[in-house]
Amino acid sequence: MYEALGLGTERAVLIGIMLALGVAGIAALFAGLFWSRKFRLPYSAEVAFVALLVGLLIYGDTTSTRTYRAYEALFPQEGDMGVGDEPPPGTFAKEVRVLAFQWGFIFFDGDKALRNVVQVPPGERVLFQLGASDVIHGFNVPAASITAELEPGETYYLWLRAPDKPGRYLIQCLNYCGLGHAQMKAWLVVAEEGEEAGDEEA
Amino acid sequence: MTAKTIENNRDVDAARWEVRDFLAELDLRTFLFSDDYRVIALKGVLLSLMMLALAGTFGLTFRAELTFPDIQLFGARPYMNLMTLHGMLMVFGFLIPFVISLCYYVMPRVLGTEKLEWPALAHASWWLLVVAAVLLIIGRPDFTWTFYAPMSLRVGGPLVWMGYLAIALVAISEFLAGLVLLKSAVKWSGSLRDWPLMGWGMMTQGIMLLFSTPALALVGLILLTDWLQLTAVFDPSRGGSTTTFLWLFWFYGHPAVYLPLVPAISLVYTLLPRFLARPLWSKISAIVAFITLLVLSFGVFHHHFQPAVNVHTWVQRFFQIMTLLIFIPSTLHVFNWVASLFEGPIPDEGRRAVPFKFLMGSIFFIILGGVVGYINAQIAINTEFIHNTYWIPGHFHAMFLGFCAQVGMAAVYYLYPYWTGRMYNQRLANLHFWLWQVGIFGQVMTMYALGYAFFPRWVVDYLPIPIWSTLQFWLTASVVLVGLGFLVMAWNLLRSYRHGEVVQGDPWTIRPAAAPQPQPVPAPGE
Repeated sequence: MYEALGLGTERAVLIGIMLALGVAGIAALFAGLFWSRKFRLPYSAEVAFVALLVGLLIYGDTTSTRTYRAYEALFPQEGDMGVGDEPPPGTFAKEVRVLAFQWGFIFFDGDKALRNVVQVPPGERVLFQLGASDVIHGFNVPAASITAELEPGETYYLWLRAPDKPGRYLIQCLNYCGLGHAQMKAWLVVAEEGEEAGDEEA
Repeated sequence: MTAKTIENNRDVDAARWEVRDFLAELDLRTFLFSDDYRVIALKGVLLSLMMLALAGTFGLTFRAELTFPDIQLFGARPYMNLMTLHGMLMVFGFLIPFVISLCYYVMPRVLGTEKLEWPALAHASWWLLVVAAVLLIIGRPDFTWTFYAPMSLRVGGPLVWMGYLAIALVAISEFLAGLVLLKSAVKWSGSLRDWPLMGWGMMTQGIMLLFSTPALALVGLILLTDWLQLTAVFDPSRGGSTTTFLWLFWFYGHPAVYLPLVPAISLVYTLLPRFLARPLWSKISAIVAFITLLVLSFGVFHHHFQPAVNVHTWVQRFFQIMTLLIFIPSTLHVFNWVASLFEGPIPDEGRRAVPFKFLMGSIFFIILGGVVGYINAQIAINTEFIHNTYWIPGHFHAMFLGFCAQVGMAAVYYLYPYWTGRMYNQRLANLHFWLWQVGIFGQVMTMYALGYAFFPRWVVDYLPIPIWSTLQFWLTASVVLVGLGFLVMAWNLLRSYRHGEVVQGDPWTIRPAAAPQPQPVPAPGE
């Protein structure tokens, strides 16, 4: 969701906090083992430590929730995607319905139904309306850093910003869905309408 | 710390037994039917170590397939059979019974009760586990250890029902173990103030088991009746609901991942003071952490399948906040151990002891596996590269193998002289230690890196993307070290039973290190 919203810095801060906590913890363990200076930590040290953690957790919760809400705000509201309704103009360059099945994806793109391939314009926002036909599947686009888990019978929305560089990008299932799970892949072809995609793989 | 506090502190000094060849006193009849807590515990430890050998072999076998892209060794079905058995036997057959059995051994002595309450239930729990393991191996299910319905109802051969039955039996086995642990823990007759941390930990574990396992038993039985077409609770094509499955299974499944953790934490609290020859930094901090962990552990499970569309966003946020909060009690345990290392000198005998080294290795890995919880808990970043990529196996192999299993190994090396009257071979034990630290570190880090590169879980084959195949190769290489470490340990423990050095007196009598004396300042001109 950070990737789709262009919030790479916020994500980097979160990963940085995680790395700092890990490095600090491991450094403290080694210091406790090998540093000859010994002292008893006061209880206030633990209180301060918990206070620091609570601060970091509040930061994590608010950042995550803010991002999640901002991402969801672009989802179509009730009725937007219904038959005959016009989608809200200008939000998405393209809207595609996807059905995940054992084992593959069908993309309903306008009046075309394509198996395991969908074409999107480079650098544009694309909305996917997802469903699963039989068992729980996943829908993951590594190049756009986004994942959904699909329970059969539910409708999910997922949007992404297509990569700027034309090419073929992987779409994969991330939930074990039976013996064909490893083959459950599709291609996000990034190319202008009417153009053939290049051969390069990302 | 004065000598008096150590004498009165069961947390520090109680975990010791008479050193003799205890194993030689066991004939088959005693081994199977004795109600002695040590025999029941040994039985559990032996069974779980056999499960480790089996599940580890399965793991290494399916891992060999992933070393290079394309299919080399076997197809999807044998691969998934092996992976499912690896997961199920490791979690249900090795991790949980291993640390519980070690606590069966340690707790009655630390509490001074010298017996397990309701030993018949402990026997029944052991036998149910044997039956479940046999059913799993014969039934050869291929639905992974999380057996998401309705996928789990549509895979496997005609014997797949054995898998569902095994799930229910495991749940009953764990429930019985929970009764034994809770009843034995609260048998303590002293004051609450003196109740050892092993007692607090086992009470936590007992309550967790009793409340969570009924959900797993239900899941197993419903899968069985759904498969027999008697019901359709989990199958949406016949009017059932996958959401029901997810909520019911993970209501067990999240406390379940703490089932190996809490006994392992209790063992650290019991063993670490023996090697430091002093009490740990704070008992009250540990008690608070146990209770908080227990309370929060039932309110975090939704993070296993977030974000879902069929709950209100506030429900999702509730689980996100609870998951973030559970970071705190887990961290308090680690804080306590590290603060204890700072508090005073570490005796040389303690520092050189192999169990102590394993304890330090496990604290390293609980940090390495635990910190990622900070981002795993957050929905926005969870839906990027974390959910169901190799990031997650990286996280739980650090916690399960790096922490829980290594604490268990520390306890096995610690108890070995009390079981056999002999000492293990130090050089081989050190070799095992280093093979595991290097191997598990390589395994966890390559799994994190693969997850960051979006490598999907549960695949038999993958695209020949260079970063994927390079990391997969190094992952296999790391895991081979872990396997070698296990072989070294098995050889060491078997061989030392005949050839190990005979131990005189208590092997872990570790003198407290002298407090560092202020260095005399050399007089000028000296």
